[in-house]
Amino acid sequence: MKKPKVAFFDFACCEGCQLQIANFGEALFDILGMIDVVEFREVMSEKWNGQLDIAFVEGSITDFHAEERIRQIRERAAILIAYGSCAAIGGVNGMKNTFDLEEIRKYVYGPEYHFFATEKTKAIPQVVKTDYVITGCPVYPPEILVVIKAALQGTSCSPPDYPVCVECKLNENVCMYDRGVACLGPVTRAGCNSWCINNGNICYGCRGMISNPNERGAREVLEKHNIPLPFVVNKMNLYNKCRE
Amino acid sequence: MEYNISRGLSVQAVVEYERMVLFGVHTCDLAGIQCLNMVFSRRPKDYNYLIRKNKIDIIGLECNDYCDEFASCNLVNANMPSGGYDLFFTDMGDYFIVHINTQVGDQIIDSTKLFERADRSHLRELVTLREHKRTLFRNEVSVEPREIPELFDKTFESEVWKRLDEKCLACGNCTNVCPTCYCFDVIDEVNLELKGGRKYRKWDSCQLEPFARVAGGENFRKERAARQRHRYYRKFRYPVPIYSRFFCTGCGRCSRTCMAGIRLKDTLNALVEEGITKVWKKWL
Repeated sequence: MKKPKVAFFDFACCEGCQLQIANFGEALFDILGMIDVVEFREVMSEKWNGQLDIAFVEGSITDFHAEERIRQIRERAAILIAYGSCAAIGGVNGMKNTFDLEEIRKYVYGPEYHFFATEKTKAIPQVVKTDYVITGCPVYPPEILVVIKAALQGTSCSPPDYPVCVECKLNENVCMYDRGVACLGPVTRAGCNSWCINNGNICYGCRGMISNPNERGAREVLEKHNIPLPFVVNKMNLYNKCRE
Repeated sequence: MEYNISRGLSVQAVVEYERMVLFGVHTCDLAGIQCLNMVFSRRPKDYNYLIRKNKIDIIGLECNDYCDEFASCNLVNANMPSGGYDLFFTDMGDYFIVHINTQVGDQIIDSTKLFERADRSHLRELVTLREHKRTLFRNEVSVEPREIPELFDKTFESEVWKRLDEKCLACGNCTNVCPTCYCFDVIDEVNLELKGGRKYRKWDSCQLEPFARVAGGENFRKERAARQRHRYYRKFRYPVPIYSRFFCTGCGRCSRTCMAGIRLKDTLNALVEEGITKVWKKWL
């Protein structure tokens, strides 16, 4: 079997998710044994303009240049993977959508703002057809492997549609709410093996919300623990502002 | 199961087990293990479970009083020992009375040489303790166990389930801690070379959104209310004709762990309040 040609691209993001690949350690050699990386600006200078078997796309779409470019990538790529929270769900870039577009443009670019085009932040699946999604800020390395294998085999694969609490409980963590700390685990998509809570932090909701969160139930839990709703809504808006 | 396709197809069944002793298992969990034994002994038998179980010895420990307000072990008759252990310890204050239930238990007693034969006065004290327990442990729910299956039949469309829909966060914690929940998913994990891999079981829960979702996107229990109801029916209704017992052991863990505050006793009491007048058995 000829090794599939793989490229990494980025839009509005910090490129930290791509660094997760470079950070893989030993497993990186196994991955490189399976794929032929032809463009990946975090680790190499070569470029590639031809057809692609797999395109990893990090970052969200925030202006018309980006929209044009992602459409071109989509045309060249047999498989497109939205990679990281910014790509998969809009991520932190989505916070822009809280504000009036003109106002925020002025605020960010100053008096010459009209030179800088901008649009409401969109996640990659909101712009082009996306074959696989790897969410998370940053992405959880074992999940990258699962998706790469699925892409190579041509099988379907999507992040789990249940809350982080499921994995958190299996990891035998003490519930953050029992410690008096607000945590977004109950409404956030699992798949990260409750990475943050295992390490003593709360869930920031970086993987996006589950498809059918119980907002009323979550509100009752907050009331029970005397946590003001706006406090949690603010936390939620950190990653979830592109949710339609 | 492990498989490899590099030279033809080779498939290897894998059974994971280790010799171990479960120490201090309370009667609710002994009941839980008995439930699982019945489930996995049904055909097709689950050999992974049965082999593993045979390597595990169980030393039980009696509860002299309720652990907390969430327990409902009297309702399901799990507060008194009824087998399922090798040895069973009862704390008598100054000493323990140990009931030997199996040959393995006998061997432990023989080889440790730590135990003396109990005489009549000890056994009388045990009887007194059990009698005292009968005054402490009272049915925690306002319904007779024999009325429960019919009560569930009459309350399938109850408002109680709708209220659970509003509360439940579908985190699956109640099923994760339940001693009789055994549902699993089967995961296919292929190696990076795509030449081999393993197929293994992973915990799954009826409370999770994708559990009853099938090809084509149809979800048989899309509503949280339907999923919570299913959980209760799996404990109090469905197992009754098959195994002649409830699959709730009264351990109280689901209530204790639920961050949304769904309490088993409260749910049952609410069902009773709404539906007990429709239960014919009450008058028989």
